Amino acid sequence: MRLVAVNSAARRSGLTAGELLANARSKVRNLQVRDADPAADSAALRKLGFWCLRYTPTVMACGGESGADGLFLDITGAAHLFGGEAALLADLAGRLRAFGLIPRLAVAGTAGAAWAVARFGERECAIVPSGGEEEALRDLPLAGLRLSAQTQLLLRRLGFRRIGDLLRQPRAPLAGRFGEDLLLRLDQALGRAPEPLSPLVSPPAYRAHVVFAEPIGSEAHVIEGARRLLVELSEDLDRNGAGARKLRLLLFRLDGKVLSLTIGLAAPSRDVAHMTGLIALRLDRLPNGLEADFGFDAMSLHVLLAEPMAERQALFAVDDEAAVAAGLARLIDRLEQRLGRAAVRRLHPRQSHIPERAVILKPAGDVGALPDWAAARSVGARPLLLLPRPEATEVVALVPEGPPRQFRWRGVLHQVADAEGPERIAPEWWHTSGDEAERDYYVVEDTAGRRFWLYRAGRYGAGVIPAWFVHGVFA
Amino acid sequence: MQTTGGTKAFRIAVLRQVVMRLERGLPDPAEERLSLGAPSVDRHLPGAGLACGALHEVVAATHGDRPAAFGFLAALMVRVLAVRRGPAMLVAAPRCFDFGRPYGHGLCQFGLDASRLVLVETRQDKDALWTMDEALRSKAPAVVAGLLERDLDLTMSRRLSLAAASSATPLLLLRPSPAAGASAAATRWRVAAASPARDGHGAFAGCRWSVALERCRNGRIGQWPLAWDHVAHRIRLAEVLADCTPVESANPRGRRLAG
Repeated sequence: MRLVAVNSAARRSGLTAGELLANARSKVRNLQVRDADPAADSAALRKLGFWCLRYTPTVMACGGESGADGLFLDITGAAHLFGGEAALLADLAGRLRAFGLIPRLAVAGTAGAAWAVARFGERECAIVPSGGEEEALRDLPLAGLRLSAQTQLLLRRLGFRRIGDLLRQPRAPLAGRFGEDLLLRLDQALGRAPEPLSPLVSPPAYRAHVVFAEPIGSEAHVIEGARRLLVELSEDLDRNGAGARKLRLLLFRLDGKVLSLTIGLAAPSRDVAHMTGLIALRLDRLPNGLEADFGFDAMSLHVLLAEPMAERQALFAVDDEAAVAAGLARLIDRLEQRLGRAAVRRLHPRQSHIPERAVILKPAGDVGALPDWAAARSVGARPLLLLPRPEATEVVALVPEGPPRQFRWRGVLHQVADAEGPERIAPEWWHTSGDEAERDYYVVEDTAGRRFWLYRAGRYGAGVIPAWFVHGVFA
Repeated sequence: MQTTGGTKAFRIAVLRQVVMRLERGLPDPAEERLSLGAPSVDRHLPGAGLACGALHEVVAATHGDRPAAFGFLAALMVRVLAVRRGPAMLVAAPRCFDFGRPYGHGLCQFGLDASRLVLVETRQDKDALWTMDEALRSKAPAVVAGLLERDLDLTMSRRLSLAAASSATPLLLLRPSPAAGASAAATRWRVAAASPARDGHGAFAGCRWSVALERCRNGRIGQWPLAWDHVAHRIRLAEVLADCTPVESANPRGRRLAG
């Protein structure tokens, strides 16, 4: 067993991560050890990453030797919102310390340089001036290059101690001896090669952020805050002739928890009142309420998906077809926020002979064409109401292959006055495993005038008596 | 009134209008009215048709008549869709589709354009009532229809009725079977299944119901055997002679199309 991480007391006693536990025990007498829980670590890091969305929408987890152990924040164009890089770092460090964490922060022109300076620099918060990466990295140990343990060991054996030692060497022999990886890491740290990073959450198309002077806790305040952000966003959207299709509201709680809500829209919109209403409905649907506790001190609103939107003069187009469609889209949005996406649906025809497969329900808020029933024609009579699954029924028929004389369904005996059929529907062998029987459908009318859709599954054979089912009811 | 009122019937009609205005508190003789297609039924309704901005209830005579009651509700929806723009919204609380869910191909054969139907299924009656209210107030649907699991109280029925009136959108409600409670509905129709119409060859030629208009504000109650003409999209008075009623008298257009 090895040590995965050590705290500052252990570090003062001369212990380092990666050391054998037995060695550590012999060095320090009453050493306290806890089992590592990488899953909980990465979950905690992810939560912290969400919290960092208050500074920038682009947050990435960065890997160390034992899984992800830090975060990259792309603060390009975001620092001025906090009064410059130094102020942003001070704010971040102060808040992290308040959570009981010991931050190591660095700002640099490249992710690699920031990583190295944060871990191996002298100061807790450091800012590497633009272009000063080489200068900053020169005196740092080789571990700052994010190399594999094997490469590091080899370099140390050859007498390299600091990154600066490598910078003085000609490139070709290094590449030949250690492979592309070493040079790539070096180039990435110095900004000579690009470094692709995958963000924690997809970066939004538009973003608005607000920090409150006093933490807010009531739903009304949250909605008002969201409304102001929406006003800001709708101006941006308007400028680009776009409308929002998907929103994400992030509420930053004082203790570091982040509440994230996603809201989808049936049609692109930049209507502030409408979207505010959707947010209010979404907040209503939270199972445990807002859980504000100490309150929220910041709020972010992201437009995750924006689509081009035609200019529409809503006021003048009262009778317009488009206005009706827009009104319906708003209604569907509101219903979906309260009832869930799967509750509001439309019937779509599908190519199939099997009755239950010939119709499919799709969410009404989905993008795509409206159902086209004009082309869908079925041959035989179809019931107004179709049971979700056929229900077995006891049937008495005069002749084996004939229509029923009477049947018992849901405990009620129905005498058959008239029957039409059969309409034979064969199973779709290209869909099923082949154990499905063909069905003979009858429209059956009982003596009270009620009409049912019954079918017999399969044919009579040697010792085989086919079962009957009720599949639907006519009006 | 004495000078213009010629006949007794005319005078009664004028007085009825006055009473209506007093009752509703707003003068709306021009309010949109919806003919059912059968003059003998329309005559019983105020303004010779179903009021658009009002609540109309349908109840099934027995539990087994629920499909028939749903069919009558669907027939009313078809009538509304023919004259109004927008989709039909069908809101159903849980367990209301105990006889099955509306089937697209069946709806099309019935005459209801399934592409104009939006189906909302809710987990509780409370959500269904909220949905109907929201749908009416948005004015987006041409008609809102609701299926409820439990009966609604007078307050809720008033609220829905007001929502329907303010948006001038009809609200059709299929109440659970033994519904006789107080309500703010403009009309209530009790529907039972009846033996369907048949053509000369004994084949099915349209469904029939035995319908009682048992509540009608500002109108007269009545009872009729009605038939649904799924070709002309009209409710007609059904002939109750025999099973083999010749179809041409009830449905001349259908006959021509079929032949």
